[in-house]
Amino acid sequence: MTEKPKLGVYICHCGINIASTVDVEAVTEFAKGLPNVIVARNYAYMCSDPGQLLIKNDIKEEGVNRVVVASCSPRMHEPTFRKALQEAGLNPFFLEMANIREHCSWVHGDREEATAKARRLVAAAVAKVRQLEPLEEREVDAEPAALVIGGGIAGIQAALDIADAGFKVYLVEKTPSVGGRMAQLDKTFPTLDCSACILTPKMVDTASHPNIQLMTYSEVEEVSGYIGNFDVKVRKKARYVDFDKCTGCGECAAACRMANRIPNEFDAGMGKRSAIYLPFPQAVPAKYTIDPENCLYLTRGKCGKGPKCAEVCRAGAINFEQQDEIVEFKVGAIVVATGFDVFEARKKPEYGYADYPNVITGLEMERLVSASGPTGGQIKIKVEDEEIVPKEIAFIQCVGSRDKSVGNEYCSRVCCMYTAKQAHLVKDKIPDANVRVYYMDVRAFGKGFEEFYDRVRREGIHYIRGNPSEIFKRGSKLVIKVEDTLTATPMEDEVDLVVLAVGLEPRQDVRKIIDLLRLSQSPDLFFLEAHPKLRPVDTATDGVFLAGCCQGPKDIPDTVAQAKGAASSAMIPLARGKVKIGAQVATVNENTCRGCGFCVEICPYSAIELVAVNRFGHPVQVARVNEALCKGCGSCSAGCLSDSIQPKSFRDRQILPQIAALGVMR
Amino acid sequence: MDLEKLRKTAAEIVSRDDVKYLIGWRPGSFGYRVSPCFVQDAAGAEELIFSPLCASNLATYLTLVEKLPVPRGEEPDRRKVALLVKGCDSRAVVQLLVEKGIEREQVILVGLPCRGVVDLNLLQQKYPEGLEKGELSWQEGGFQLIRNGETATIPREEILAEKCRLCRYPNPVLSDVTIGDPVEPWETEADRGVEELEQKSVEERWDYWEEQFSKCIRCYSCRNACPLCYCDDCILDRLNPIWINRAVNFSENTAFHLARAFHLGGRCAECGECERACPMNIPLGKLNRKLAKEVREKYGYEAGVDPEAKPFLASYNPNDPEEFIL
Repeated sequence: MTEKPKLGVYICHCGINIASTVDVEAVTEFAKGLPNVIVARNYAYMCSDPGQLLIKNDIKEEGVNRVVVASCSPRMHEPTFRKALQEAGLNPFFLEMANIREHCSWVHGDREEATAKARRLVAAAVAKVRQLEPLEEREVDAEPAALVIGGGIAGIQAALDIADAGFKVYLVEKTPSVGGRMAQLDKTFPTLDCSACILTPKMVDTASHPNIQLMTYSEVEEVSGYIGNFDVKVRKKARYVDFDKCTGCGECAAACRMANRIPNEFDAGMGKRSAIYLPFPQAVPAKYTIDPENCLYLTRGKCGKGPKCAEVCRAGAINFEQQDEIVEFKVGAIVVATGFDVFEARKKPEYGYADYPNVITGLEMERLVSASGPTGGQIKIKVEDEEIVPKEIAFIQCVGSRDKSVGNEYCSRVCCMYTAKQAHLVKDKIPDANVRVYYMDVRAFGKGFEEFYDRVRREGIHYIRGNPSEIFKRGSKLVIKVEDTLTATPMEDEVDLVVLAVGLEPRQDVRKIIDLLRLSQSPDLFFLEAHPKLRPVDTATDGVFLAGCCQGPKDIPDTVAQAKGAASSAMIPLARGKVKIGAQVATVNENTCRGCGFCVEICPYSAIELVAVNRFGHPVQVARVNEALCKGCGSCSAGCLSDSIQPKSFRDRQILPQIAALGVMR
Repeated sequence: MDLEKLRKTAAEIVSRDDVKYLIGWRPGSFGYRVSPCFVQDAAGAEELIFSPLCASNLATYLTLVEKLPVPRGEEPDRRKVALLVKGCDSRAVVQLLVEKGIEREQVILVGLPCRGVVDLNLLQQKYPEGLEKGELSWQEGGFQLIRNGETATIPREEILAEKCRLCRYPNPVLSDVTIGDPVEPWETEADRGVEELEQKSVEERWDYWEEQFSKCIRCYSCRNACPLCYCDDCILDRLNPIWINRAVNFSENTAFHLARAFHLGGRCAECGECERACPMNIPLGKLNRKLAKEVREKYGYEAGVDPEAKPFLASYNPNDPEEFIL
């Protein structure tokens, strides 16, 4: 652009956020004296309609062709002002923001000094805006399909919503059945409706929906590409059972030589299964799977005279020759719903989870009270080889939550209520049981939660405020050592059964997903959302959305709500059919690039590749940026030894005058 | 040193159709001097030598060669270049491969296990250099000097180059053919030069480097001699923006030397060419070795040993100790 730069500088009061600390009038006067500035104004709220109108009018009437807005962080309002420039007919990238709020007024008290700093920041922005170049945003087509990773309630709900809207959905689940954690639960708080009863219809829908391709016992191997155009590779693990032939009759499992010998993951290890198994009766798809780690034939190559399962299977579905299969497809958006693991109670050795069989976790309790559980819903425990119905039962809350000693500072948000629910269920099934709950605080914040908590207490559940220090054995009883902190009474409590309300943690194999999708983690190690308040289902990777407990602990209603949110966000690019590509991307000077590939390795978005070009007859490699993937983060630029790759709008020749104007450089 | 075998191997290599030339050493025109030579044919191979005077790292020439425009209709010369490499030289080649500065198919490496080269300055102090040629060779426990028809034995410690005292890779880490038997790596002393500096106070270190950097005349010999400083367009030469001012003063010299050292962070093959080339005897090796030490201790990474490795500054390991991050 050869026309002479005519700058407009607009200084925002931000109510009193800026104006109370920075003398905006003085800064305005100062700005008027800067080179090429033809107009400088200040206004109470620059982002308001009248504020934007000031800018637009100056562009149209005064011929302003470069704009500096001195206000807040560009994170929020850069898009606002870009739009204003565009509406006034100016290239939206002829804008530079000086952050005189977060970087100045909010962090300084002295009016004189804050004003001096604001002047410098404005001068720096003025120096830079003169060097900016016009940029164009482009659009590319988006594939009208989505990938949902994880088949728990979050993944199921997201998949169903997207599929109902008419888009193709690939639902990938690691285990042999969809259902996830919710399928393991007995009743749900606070309404006490049966978890399986409300979940099963949705599970069946995922399998029968014409738009959903359900891939259970599968894992995502590779994701490349970018929003609108992700290339996905999924490994369908060998089930050793012909999916189409298996009728789900279950005779194989009954015949298996390993029957009732392998801890059932679905029952949290409480029950036993065979090496060929259906995780639970309502499993979807109702197809059997051979566990290759425990099947005698697969581990030892020999199973009696021949595998029993194959012998009894009338459909001839058993196939030990089956191999993993790689499926490749393309999607426009990805919903991550990988869920959670429960806290490993062994990390709190003082509670004796590893030592005493009658210390169990909340998840085990769910299976114990569930009608489909290992005991058929009867609460029975084994104490010294004798099966008894426990009468003295204690729940301990906050096991692995709100506990710095195990590294989990956060509240898991569901334990208070699931404890209350389980206490209620125990009282319901064993009316003469004495049930108490040891708690630090009770957090009953959801709809109907406080009412439920009240109801449970009225049912005769004792809530004792105290964090037990130790559990040990005395005779056939367990003794809980604890101080009732409301009365400051140290006490020992003899019980038959202790239920640890274990908290929620990120999945053990969370790293795999992080590497796959380039996600970030918050300090609690759950996946990090793009903005805690305004973009709670988005991630830093465009086109990848979060649903459910992989983003942080939450209960079922919150999970479903977030899944629906993630689904609708994911549908935006799918419905538009196009995605915008950022304009502030890295560019390569192919004349000086020496093709070392540092940037290729450094790029967190895999946006750079080496391509062969002809340099005066010599074939050489140079870096090339995929503009659709590039986020303009500048990591490549920092790593480039020959200074050959720089992000547009942040080139050396644009930044150096800015730094010089700050007075840092000569 | 089996010179005959070296010359025979070199002659065979340069006679091949797919080889452009072989880069080696030959005696210089006077004194202890050794020149690099580009052997084009079998006859030229007769000149080749390998002695404790062959200190220069020939890997520099791999990237120094100018790629002239290829006339239309002609193919660029894709013939291979053969190269004599000592242990340290081979590390530079490996680092070049890691950085894609050269292609593996482009080079033939003739590995020469090396018992350490001499520091010419130390040799000259003891046996001043004259016009007549001097020959130096390895012998048990040191070096043998033949000069003016006289033979002298010099103990190894007296004239061994500093980089060789600290050398952990006397045998080439990568080669296509090796001449001679592998050398048993010797006990290396701790890097006293770096450690002594580390123990000094900030002020003392500042004074030390102020003295050293103030000597610099900004001839850029260190950059030009370095096999790993090979950008076609060096940022030191750029006019817009001017990253480092051309003024020869302590401030700009310091900026230059720090930029040079940091550009070699996690890349330096420790061949010592920068220091050898410096006409002002600035101890550049100390800077490089300090960075190499940091990289080795903090990240367990060593440059120029594994051609399959990722470049240090372009690799990320989530299990890095990162002890220095608060």
